[in-house]
Amino acid sequence: MSSREQLPQIDLGDAVVVRDEDRQNPVAVRFEHVRKTYKLYKNDRQRLLASFTSRVRYDEVNASDDLSFVCRRGEALAFLGDNGAGKSTALKMITGVCFPTSGTIEVHGRVSALLELSAGFDMRLSGMENVRMRCQLWGLSASEAEELIPEIVDFSELGKYIDQPMRTYSSGMRARLGFAFASSIRPDILVVDEALSVGDRKFAKKCRTRVRSIIENENVTVLFVTHSTAQAKEFCSRGIVLSHGRTLFEGGIDDAVAFYEST
Amino acid sequence: MLATLRQILSENWQWRHQIWDLAKIDLVKTYRGAALGKVWLFTKPAVYILVYWFTLSVGLRHSGDVNGQPFLLWLAAGVFPWFFMSDAINTGSNVYRRYPYLVNRIKFPLSVISTFYTLSIMIIFACTMLFTIAVCLLTGVHLGRYLLQLPLVMLLMFLFWTAWSIMLSPFGAISKDFANLIKTLSTPFFWLSGILFQLDSLPRIGQVIMAFNPVAWCAEAVRDCFVYKEWIWQRPDELLPFLAVFLVVVLLALRNFRRLSKEVPDVL
Repeated sequence: MSSREQLPQIDLGDAVVVRDEDRQNPVAVRFEHVRKTYKLYKNDRQRLLASFTSRVRYDEVNASDDLSFVCRRGEALAFLGDNGAGKSTALKMITGVCFPTSGTIEVHGRVSALLELSAGFDMRLSGMENVRMRCQLWGLSASEAEELIPEIVDFSELGKYIDQPMRTYSSGMRARLGFAFASSIRPDILVVDEALSVGDRKFAKKCRTRVRSIIENENVTVLFVTHSTAQAKEFCSRGIVLSHGRTLFEGGIDDAVAFYEST
Repeated sequence: MLATLRQILSENWQWRHQIWDLAKIDLVKTYRGAALGKVWLFTKPAVYILVYWFTLSVGLRHSGDVNGQPFLLWLAAGVFPWFFMSDAINTGSNVYRRYPYLVNRIKFPLSVISTFYTLSIMIIFACTMLFTIAVCLLTGVHLGRYLLQLPLVMLLMFLFWTAWSIMLSPFGAISKDFANLIKTLSTPFFWLSGILFQLDSLPRIGQVIMAFNPVAWCAEAVRDCFVYKEWIWQRPDELLPFLAVFLVVVLLALRNFRRLSKEVPDVL
C-alpha cells in the first residue's frame, strides 16, 4: 500500500516532475520542454573528481532536447526513431528511474515498465522469489499477490523452472517472465520497450494478444517503443517520430509511420 | 538540507512494510546457492573467533580475564560487532551495485536501499548477540543490568551505518576505485580499532584519536554492555566525539544524496 502514496511533486532544480495516481485525469503523460543531459567524462576518475568539485570538464549529450508531447488517457502511443533518438530515455523518465535536467514531466497513474527486457530481476533469486519481491514492491498485499502469482507463472510458461535461480534462465525465459509480470499487475500506464519481439513465434503471438486486450481496456495507456513499423501500426493509434531527442512529427499512426519511413 | 532529510525520512516511512521484507530477501540472497544456507551465518563468526582466541591466548599468551569476565566473551563482544561493521564498510558503502535493478529498472527510492541492507546485516548481528547471551546464561557467566543498553547501542549503530551507506554509496556507484579504496581501508580499521586489543593500552594521544573512530566506539559500546559494565554515557569523552562524527556523517550523507542521487541511475 505504501508505494501508492507518492510525493506529488519533486523539485529537481530546473526540472519539475509531477507524479500522482489520478486515474481520472484525461492526460496520462505530459512532457513540456524536457531536456535530459548526460555528462560524459573522459574516464571514471574524472567523474569521481567531479563529484567533489565542479571544475572538472565534461562533454554534454542531450538525450532528450526540448521534448514536448501529450499522451491522453487510454491512448496507445508509439515512439518511432532510429537508435539514439532518445526513445528509451523518454520511457525511463516516464517510469521514474531517471530524472530530467530541465522541463516539466507530468505522469498521472501507476506505471509498469518493461525496460530492456529482463527488467529488474535479481539473478541470484529464483523466478518465484523475484515475482514475490516485485509484487511487494508494486505494493500488493499478500492475498492480492497470492491471487496474481499463479496467473503470472502460468502466462510465462516457465513450468518447473520457476523455482530455479534466475541466472540459469535463458534471455528468452527472463523476457517471458518480465512480460508476464509487467502485463499482469494491471497498471494504469504500461511502458513497453522493444519487448514484443522476444520468445518464439507462439509466445510473441500470446504477448500481442495480451497487449491488444490491455489496449482495448479504455483506461489503460500504453507507450510503445519499437523498430517495427508493422507492430506500431498494429497496436497504436498515434505515433511520435523522434530524432536527436526532439519531436519531428506527432500525429496519427499511419502518417507517423509514413513520415518515419520517408526520412 | 532539511528538505533532503525530510525526503529521506518520508521515503523510508512510506516503504516501511517493504523494508522488512527486502531485508529478509537480502539474507536469502546472501546465503543462496549454499546447501547449508543458514548454518553459514554462524559458522563463519565461530571459526574466526576460535582462530583469534587461539592466536591471542595460546600463541601470544595474552588472555587474562577482562574486568572479571572471560576473555572469550570479551573477544566475542568485539568481533561480532566487527562482522556487522565489516559488511557495512565493504558492501554498505557500495550498496547500489548490489541492487542495480532497484536503481535503474524499477522506480524505487535510493535511500531505502541503504536502510534495508543495513537492517539485513543488523538481523544477523542481533542473532549473534542472542547467541552470545544464551551461551553466557548456559555457562553461568554473570551479565548484569548493563546489558539493558544493548538495544540502544544497536539502534545507534543501525542509524550510523545507514547514514554511512547513504553517504558513500553514490561514490561507489560512480567509481569502482572508490569502492576498492574503502575495501582496502577495512582491514586497517579492523586492526587499529581495538577489536583485538584493549584501547586502554594505547598512549593518551592514541586514545584521543580512537575516540573519533566510529568502529572503535561501536565495539567498545558493545563491550560496555557485556564486559566493562558501564553505561555508554558515563564516558562522555568517548560518546561525544562519536556523536560529533555521527553528525558529520549525517550532514555529508544529506549533501551527497542531494547532489548525486539523480546522477546515480545515469552512471550505474
